[in-house]
Amino acid sequence: MNHPSLIEAVLVTVVLTNLQLLGSSRLKICIHMVGLQGIVAGLLPVLLDHEANPLRAWLLVVGSVAIKGIVFPKLLLRVLRDAGVCREVEPFVGYILSLLAAVSALMFSLWMGSTLVLPQAPVGTTLMAPVGFTTILVGLLVIITRRKAISQVIGYVVVENGIYIFGVALVGGVPMLVELGVLMDAFVAVFLMGIAVYKISREFDHIDVDRLNRMQG
Amino acid sequence: MDATALLAPLAALVLAPLFLGIINRTKAFFAGRHGQPLFQLYFDLQKLLGKGATYSRTSTWIVRGGPIIGLAALMVVVLLVPLGGLSGLVRFPGDLLLFAYLLSMARFFTVLAALDVGSSFEGMGASREVFFSTLTEPTLMLSLAVLAHQSHSLSLSSALGAVTVTSWLQHGTSLVLVFVALLVVCLAENARIPIDDPNTHLELTMIHEVMVLDHGGPDLAFILYGSALKLWIFASLVVGLVLPVRTGVAFLDLGSMLLGMGLLAIVLGCIESTMARLRLLRVPNLLVGATTLATLALVLAVR
Amino acid sequence: MAADWILWPILTFPVLSAGLCLTLHSPQRILGAVAFLGFLWALLLGAVAVTVMYLGTLSAARHWLTLDMLSSYHLLIFGMVFGASSLYARHYFSFEIAHDEFNLEDGRKFGALWFGSGTAMVSVLLCNNLGLMWVGIEATTLLTAFLVCAHVTPLSLEAMWKYLVVCSVGVAFAFIGTLLVAASALELGLAAEDTLLWTVLDGSAERLSPGPMKLAFVFLLVGYGTKAGLAPMHSWLPDAHSQAPTPVSAILSGFMLNAALYCIMRYLPLVEGATGHLGWGRALVTLLGMISMVLAAAFILFQHDGKRLLAYSSVEHMGIIALGLGLGGIGTFAGLWHAMNHSICKILAFFSIGSLGQLYGTHDLGKMAGAMRRSPLWGLGFFVSVLILIGSAPFAIFMSELQILRAAIHQEAWVVLAIFLAAAALVFIGALKLAIAAAWGEEVVVPRTQSSSIIDVLLVIGALGLLLLLGLWLPTPLHGMMESAAQIIGGRP
Repeated sequence: MNHPSLIEAVLVTVVLTNLQLLGSSRLKICIHMVGLQGIVAGLLPVLLDHEANPLRAWLLVVGSVAIKGIVFPKLLLRVLRDAGVCREVEPFVGYILSLLAAVSALMFSLWMGSTLVLPQAPVGTTLMAPVGFTTILVGLLVIITRRKAISQVIGYVVVENGIYIFGVALVGGVPMLVELGVLMDAFVAVFLMGIAVYKISREFDHIDVDRLNRMQG
Repeated sequence: MDATALLAPLAALVLAPLFLGIINRTKAFFAGRHGQPLFQLYFDLQKLLGKGATYSRTSTWIVRGGPIIGLAALMVVVLLVPLGGLSGLVRFPGDLLLFAYLLSMARFFTVLAALDVGSSFEGMGASREVFFSTLTEPTLMLSLAVLAHQSHSLSLSSALGAVTVTSWLQHGTSLVLVFVALLVVCLAENARIPIDDPNTHLELTMIHEVMVLDHGGPDLAFILYGSALKLWIFASLVVGLVLPVRTGVAFLDLGSMLLGMGLLAIVLGCIESTMARLRLLRVPNLLVGATTLATLALVLAVR
Repeated sequence: MAADWILWPILTFPVLSAGLCLTLHSPQRILGAVAFLGFLWALLLGAVAVTVMYLGTLSAARHWLTLDMLSSYHLLIFGMVFGASSLYARHYFSFEIAHDEFNLEDGRKFGALWFGSGTAMVSVLLCNNLGLMWVGIEATTLLTAFLVCAHVTPLSLEAMWKYLVVCSVGVAFAFIGTLLVAASALELGLAAEDTLLWTVLDGSAERLSPGPMKLAFVFLLVGYGTKAGLAPMHSWLPDAHSQAPTPVSAILSGFMLNAALYCIMRYLPLVEGATGHLGWGRALVTLLGMISMVLAAAFILFQHDGKRLLAYSSVEHMGIIALGLGLGGIGTFAGLWHAMNHSICKILAFFSIGSLGQLYGTHDLGKMAGAMRRSPLWGLGFFVSVLILIGSAPFAIFMSELQILRAAIHQEAWVVLAIFLAAAALVFIGALKLAIAAAWGEEVVVPRTQSSSIIDVLLVIGALGLLLLLGLWLPTPLHGMMESAAQIIGGRP
């Protein structure tokens, strides 16, 4: 069961979550968007259905949806509450400029997807790799242009989502063990970053990364 | 020429003020008021046309000409715009561009007239109007480009006429994006909540209303009728997109479209009643968001 | 092969040790366990490396775990670094226990993470699957992050945050690269299980699609380059290395950077094979190496903090190794040799500055004057190791740098040669000036005292002796091992 239109809908949802992420000023909304993105992106392997072993695909879907769609948002919301930070995003680059940057990133990715001679991906639409790459770029944008440390965790999760989509588009079948290892690493990384944000808020009374600049040279 | 081609423009010219009336009644219902009569705008127009006009000595012919040219441009637009399956009176390849440019021309003269009055309030409104329209125009053009690409036609009537149930099944995602983008454009171009509040009387927060403060009598009637037409034009684009009823039987099409327009009026009334007006600084975010949606739709369509 | 089973105990041993550390009830005992078990594990690793030296490649779990000459050579380096650092950790933290700066909870956390990060580093070397190799690298970041801020201070938190974010994101790039490598192998029609096995890819490197492979290598270089501290992606490195407790700094500088470089070494033959051995990948590596050398030299000139000095020196030496790899031919061999020399010397330097820092209560070299008289052992260790690091004859680092220069001359890469010499000269001046001031200079009176045990003396003497020995005479089996390792990367001597 290959569903091109469903896949397209999923990919568009991913792009829309990216835009909402860049355009909204509330950290809570950003976190919800990341969770939504994780859930819809996690569904891709079953929609593609190029898996010889459907059980494997479902296992992966359940794992990634549970971690990226449920655990990560819960964790981040908890950090947000415990760190007691101001809920505004406070970007260095305005929302409109970020949105335009995201659109340019999408254009760039599409252009790259069309020029670059990638070997024929197993299945899926031609849109998948560019959307994955766009998501990676958006994640990097969030990491670079946002002031709060927690935004960087959010950006990291977005990058992970992008890599996941990119990987599904590009390769399809990476060995199970590797996928699980990657998922595990992402989980631990976000967990540790969450703890770090909490500790930073305790030690500094703020989580503004631009003020973490005591060491230079 | 087929007599059915007259249906769309006639419906627009006659029913446009009623459309506003439905919106106002919906808002009144939400507010728990009885509200003004459905046909209030017709009465207003009749009253205003019977009045004389006063002009400031410092103003020029632009103030007098602005409302007339604006209304004339919009009336020509009405000839181009289809109502779902019913094509407009005039159609030729490239009328998409004429459509956009006539709308800009109407706005251009409204703005000029506002500036010519010489009041600082109206200058401010003009500046906002121009700023926001620079953000909505790309959205409109991109959305129309999507429709044009899918129908392989540069005519508004054929582009909208080609939107059928099959095209919704095939390109559903990109059409949904176009729909949202057009809805935002419709709200923004017609100065509705959440972009602007047509009822507000605080000049500092107004956009469209503040530009026409100094017009009276027949001029104001032209302006009011013009805005009603403009709202109808955008609403018919939106309805034509979401209601893919293309039976080919003229009166069936007309009936379903008019029903659709009525529903949209109620939906707009609901939106205006349930949402608060956005802070002026936030408006560009919404408009740029709509632009990105339209871009995304185009990307999906041309791929 | 009969000895293949040995790959399992070298992975399970540290995991069990980590568990044991969690059950002990006093910080002293934990440190004892870390020193003893760490040393034992290092001996085991050394034995395995020697086994490979004589018996050839070992592999287990259907080739998912493989230890060839290249990885066992790195395993040897890791064994030395980890064993020595474990012994030193006992000395270092005992001083902190005496000053009430290290409690049981710290000890348990340290012990578990110490062996955990060791396991991650070894699994990078053992995994033949490039995806799992990536998982190992990411795991080293995650496990060492909290070692960096073992003592929670604003500065260490800041360093840990930068380390965690920069390296996680950087290494994410490496994963994109890994995916692209898998994509470039699609035309080979491999089974999903074999897609990322290095041995399989290396066997058919010529048939990988060059386009995706090139793109992949750029991503891999940025990703693993970040982790290896190659400039300009090195921003996390000086902060993390200067804030971490010294044994941790030693293992970060002494092996973790090498582990990331090792990943780049694995990909070099793949990209070179796919692009027709034209030196496309090597040129990129050379470029990064040169940037690292120049940037590090500039920062060393204006450095006051001893640990940051050593951190920038690591950037410089990673650059030198990358230069060797990039030049190819004898340069590859020299780069590998340099990796071992640098690791030995760098851990000694860190041990010395760490102990001096405890004595003086600061790492500012300007406030450490008269170190040679204040603590003859560590003062000497610091001064001589800095001398060796900046390339003094006849120690091993001088010899390996000379070999890299020879490779540059052989390849007629005059720009590389000029930049190498200029950067080395700058580092020589900058570091020597600081080291002389610290070693001699007006003696500063400090309240703290420090005792050195026989193990400390052995660490200093052993490291210095080894560096001298390797500079004068390279044992034939080791030489053979390095040559076979260089051949795996693609350098033909």
